[in-house]
Amino acid sequence: MTRSTTSLLRLFALAVGVAALPFATMAQTSAPPIKIGWLVALTGPNSSPGIGFDRGIKYAVEEVNQAGGIKGRKLEVVTRDTQGDPTKAVNAALELMNREKVDFMVGPTNSGEGLATTPLIARNKTPSMVYGVVDTLIDPEKYPFTFRILPSNKQWTDAAHNYILKNLNAKKVALIGDATGYGTATVNLSEQELKRLGATISYKALIEANQSDVNSDMQKAKSSGAEVILVWSDSAALNARLINARAEANWTAPIVGHPALGSGAIKPLLTAPGNWNAVYNIGYKQTSFDKAGKLPDETSKFLSSVVAKKVRVDDTTLWWIAAGYDAVQLIRRGYETAGSSKPEDVKKALESLRGFAGAYGRYTYTASNHNGYDVNDIVMNRADSFKDGSYTLAPGYGQ
Amino acid sequence: MILSILIAGVAVGSIYAMIGICYNVMYSTSKVLSFTSGQLGMLGAVFGAWLIGDLQWPIWIGFPAAMLVGVVFSMITEFIAVRPVLKNLDQHLYVLSTLALALMVQTAAAIWWGTEPRPFPTLVGLSPAGLAEKYWLPVLVCVLTMVSVDLFYRKTLWGRAFTAISEDADAALALGIPERRMRVISYVLAGFVGALAGFAGGQLLFAFFAIGALLTFYGFIPIAIGGIGSNRGALVGGLTVGILQQIANYVVGGVFVGVVTFALFIIVLVLMPQGLFGSTVARRV
Amino acid sequence: MTALSNVEIPPQATPWRLATRLAPAAAALAAAGLLPGVVDNYWMQIAALACIYWVLIAGLNLIVGYAGQLAIGFVGLLAIGAYTAAILCEKLGVPALAALVVAGCSGAFFGFLIGLPSLRLKNFYFAMTTLGFATIVTQIALGWGSLTGGGIGLPGPVFPPPFDTPLGFYYLALAMAVLATYVLRNIAISNFGRGLVAVRDADVAAEAMGVPVVRLKLVTFTFSGGLAGLAGALYAARQTYITPDAFTFDLSVMFFIAVLIGGRGRIVGPMVATAVLTLLPEIAAPLVAWSSFAYGLLLLLVVLLLPGGMAEYIDRIFKKRTVAARITSPKVAAIAGVIARPDAGPASPVRVKGVALAFGGVRALDGVDLRVEPGTIHGLIGPNGSGKTTLLNVISGYYAPNDGTIRLGEEDMAGLPVQSRSRLGIARTFQTPRVLGNLSVLDNAMLGAYSHFESSFPLTALGLPRTRREDHAIRERALQALTAVGLAHCAQSRADQLQHTEQRFLEIARCLVMQPQILLLDEPAAGLAADEIDNLASLITKLSTLGVGVLLIEHHTDLVFQISHHVTVLNLGKVLASGTPAEVRSNKEVIHAYLGT
Repeated sequence: MTRSTTSLLRLFALAVGVAALPFATMAQTSAPPIKIGWLVALTGPNSSPGIGFDRGIKYAVEEVNQAGGIKGRKLEVVTRDTQGDPTKAVNAALELMNREKVDFMVGPTNSGEGLATTPLIARNKTPSMVYGVVDTLIDPEKYPFTFRILPSNKQWTDAAHNYILKNLNAKKVALIGDATGYGTATVNLSEQELKRLGATISYKALIEANQSDVNSDMQKAKSSGAEVILVWSDSAALNARLINARAEANWTAPIVGHPALGSGAIKPLLTAPGNWNAVYNIGYKQTSFDKAGKLPDETSKFLSSVVAKKVRVDDTTLWWIAAGYDAVQLIRRGYETAGSSKPEDVKKALESLRGFAGAYGRYTYTASNHNGYDVNDIVMNRADSFKDGSYTLAPGYGQ
Repeated sequence: MILSILIAGVAVGSIYAMIGICYNVMYSTSKVLSFTSGQLGMLGAVFGAWLIGDLQWPIWIGFPAAMLVGVVFSMITEFIAVRPVLKNLDQHLYVLSTLALALMVQTAAAIWWGTEPRPFPTLVGLSPAGLAEKYWLPVLVCVLTMVSVDLFYRKTLWGRAFTAISEDADAALALGIPERRMRVISYVLAGFVGALAGFAGGQLLFAFFAIGALLTFYGFIPIAIGGIGSNRGALVGGLTVGILQQIANYVVGGVFVGVVTFALFIIVLVLMPQGLFGSTVARRV
Repeated sequence: MTALSNVEIPPQATPWRLATRLAPAAAALAAAGLLPGVVDNYWMQIAALACIYWVLIAGLNLIVGYAGQLAIGFVGLLAIGAYTAAILCEKLGVPALAALVVAGCSGAFFGFLIGLPSLRLKNFYFAMTTLGFATIVTQIALGWGSLTGGGIGLPGPVFPPPFDTPLGFYYLALAMAVLATYVLRNIAISNFGRGLVAVRDADVAAEAMGVPVVRLKLVTFTFSGGLAGLAGALYAARQTYITPDAFTFDLSVMFFIAVLIGGRGRIVGPMVATAVLTLLPEIAAPLVAWSSFAYGLLLLLVVLLLPGGMAEYIDRIFKKRTVAARITSPKVAAIAGVIARPDAGPASPVRVKGVALAFGGVRALDGVDLRVEPGTIHGLIGPNGSGKTTLLNVISGYYAPNDGTIRLGEEDMAGLPVQSRSRLGIARTFQTPRVLGNLSVLDNAMLGAYSHFESSFPLTALGLPRTRREDHAIRERALQALTAVGLAHCAQSRADQLQHTEQRFLEIARCLVMQPQILLLDEPAAGLAADEIDNLASLITKLSTLGVGVLLIEHHTDLVFQISHHVTVLNLGKVLASGTPAEVRSNKEVIHAYLGT
């Protein structure tokens, strides 16, 4: 090569290098994604809620990323199927925190798993949103970085008790739960609360979800003189059997309780569609049809955009999807307000939210309260009114 | 109250009894107790629900198809999990191989069919005297099965060959009875009976992947109590277990039913290892 | 770690030999100890889980691998240990380390309870029982809410510093795993290990060797339960919170597979399998829905293809083959050294009087009288089905006679079980040799001295020098016995590599090690060549001159007449003739019924 060619090449290389400099710095400052660790029971028993939440989360993440992400940072969801097994949940939580180094943890979806993973996640100071309803999962002192999206169990039971005592005017209650962690805890809670409110528990039972025949329990409940049956179970099979058994016992007492009493999975398990009358499950104002059969405006919009993106609604419940969606929205709001991704800042940002409106509900967090769901939005639905993932308000909720 | 306990107990007990018969039939020619017995019931219920309920096939096609699934699975069991380990029968490896196969088919069903119980369609639609079909169907089918199997053993050549093999396999072999073919046939029969149990009981138990394990346990207790090889014992044992379950359910509540049943099962077995109707153990030295 | 059939007899454990034997173990321990420095928190905690599982599996290995019991529902014991520790810490404020110990004890207690049905129930029945037990435990945990928190569960114990950090906890788990391995190895290579294999592979012969089958099984179950209980407490601490749904059937299957894949009766194999099986779900995370299916498939493959596990497979490839052409040349003179007991009193005769035994309608024995005097050879001949073996079995104690008495000296042995009679000094061989194929020839011979070991199970587990000394002494004795029967050159081979005839001599060696007063031989010459029969004859004769009383059942009547001092002829359960060989040989009835002309 001639000397002039060499120096020309050198000059050229220098020029390219200088020109590339801004791109290089831009590549360095183009921020890393915000990683969300998602612990969910997608398979195995009790996977229906998880599947619903999952759809909401994936939909929300896509929406946020298409709008440019959070301050230029894209959202990335790392999903781990825990199968409802606490050991797998713990292992997955450790993996997500130590290897994937997620910024935020969402889930797990079952209370049993949550009870095991929450202390671990808290020890690691990773901010998290939990889906379990068991009350002990939230404790701003023990677990300062853990927040809840769903109402707490106490809020659910309060709504149901209110409905029983005030709207149904009942005093004697037959209290039934399934034998899971959730069922046991809630039956205990209801028992304490109802007694405090002056009602009588005339019959109490914990039934295993797979028990094939519940007629004797229903008979015993009926002969105890109960005026209403309060059911805390998310098992479609058990709920269907209880509803059928009530019909077989020729009993017209209303059934009140868990949101899953209205699950689409119950319908085919009923011996007669009419059995589903007078069953009132917990629901949410946001996702309930009023007397005129209309959803609140924001929810209708949410529903249409979700359906437009081909997310299935008919085999799950809309509020599950909405709750998943809201998790991402809350995270987004937290990071935007905080302006940084330091856990302390995100925590403070979340604690500053007042009435933040999501698709599923409105959220208010403070330094001493991490149960953000607005309890006023909890309503009772008519279980047999399932349509497009939502329900009609139960009688007594004049709207 | 008592009546409803009895009805429910007899109904579910009939299903258990049929699974017991399924165990017995497999045992008669191979001396093998198989963990897949309950899974056959699960397959009968799940495929019955899928073919007749979901795909809307007419019963006269759907029923044989569901039975065929059970038969095929039973033949697979014989071929994969039983035949290879018969050489070392004294090591009882069949316990593990059938357990493995049962676990595999259960997981596969959970993944394909889902983990929620799904409904089983009403078949006949008759409720004589107000008795729901889900109660009388298993009982009727169980009685028919018992009578048929009994006739099979006593009147047909194949049935008598089974009896011969179960009493003395070497002598039967010496008589020219084709042992392997008889064994396969017995597994075919067992597959049919097992799937039938699940099919008849589908309305009561729902089409659910977990009923496989349930039926494996609760179908074993009747023959443990009644004695292996005795179908009458299976019937008595099955009804006892079914009624006992319902009584326990009423008295101690659902969560402890399993505890009561199993505790009783263990106690009975320890006191009477050969069961009420069974034969004593042969000499070992 | 060494496999059972590979135990060496170092005449002197030189430092170099010790170092090479311990090197692999030391390397593994060093690697485990340095692990936290190399991997992140996540993998370290997975490793801690593997250590915890191994503590349980080490115990399960004794039950499934060594004793051969199909205990499938072992997760129930894990749950008991976990809940015991959690309840003590949470509800009673007991310090975590103390709760750990109590959890071990509760595990031991329930292990004992599971062991009880194992005595009566076999195989499928026992497997079902353990599954039932696991179900009962989870259901009680679920239902007894006031104690266990029901479905909500309980927080796990928190260990005091330095074990309250993940790093500290890892080292605690590792230390327990090392302890479990140490204890497992001590049992495995000991008398108890051999006894367990005997229970698994030849339980009839085990009783005849004086192995207290019932007691050994129960002790093993108790011990393994204790390990499982400890594992449970550690598990509860690792999870920080336990609920009933954590104790799944899948876990039980996984534990079982680990023992099987690794190889029943081995140590390293199951340890590696445990590590692999704990890691597998973490590596194959997307396939988690299929994990149960994968366990099932793995179990099926192991059972069908490698029932002996990986270790046996590797064994077969690498084990040295025994010398093809080998000559069994007994050194009869060595017998004296084997069976001499310095503290033995005068030997007692066996006196059988009026013994009758019927099976259903068949009178197998119909009023038999017989005496076996010490220092004499008493031949027992007769046609097939005459009751010879039955009489042997009655003397051994396998059957109780309907009538008559059997005395050893002055002592009436009625009601004494087989193992007690063998401990009184009655040894026997079997028509078909019952040797433990998986063990070495030397280990088989050592089994004869089972009841001579004085170290208890717990002391053996601790690996005290006294146990090693005892073991060494018995080993020497066994080697001498093998020399006596001419099998010393095969001492390290697996017993299933011996020919049929050699196995017969092995059985005799085993009896020699027992230092018996009375030796019952059931057709020892069957299948032997002429020169082997001569060897046998000189062995038996030497034994009698040393004061042992021998009852010799044989069809080789030449042999019987040649060496016996006294001969009895049985026919159809009755004594046809009894006297000196010369008398019997010329007895007309005997000739007619049996000998022919």
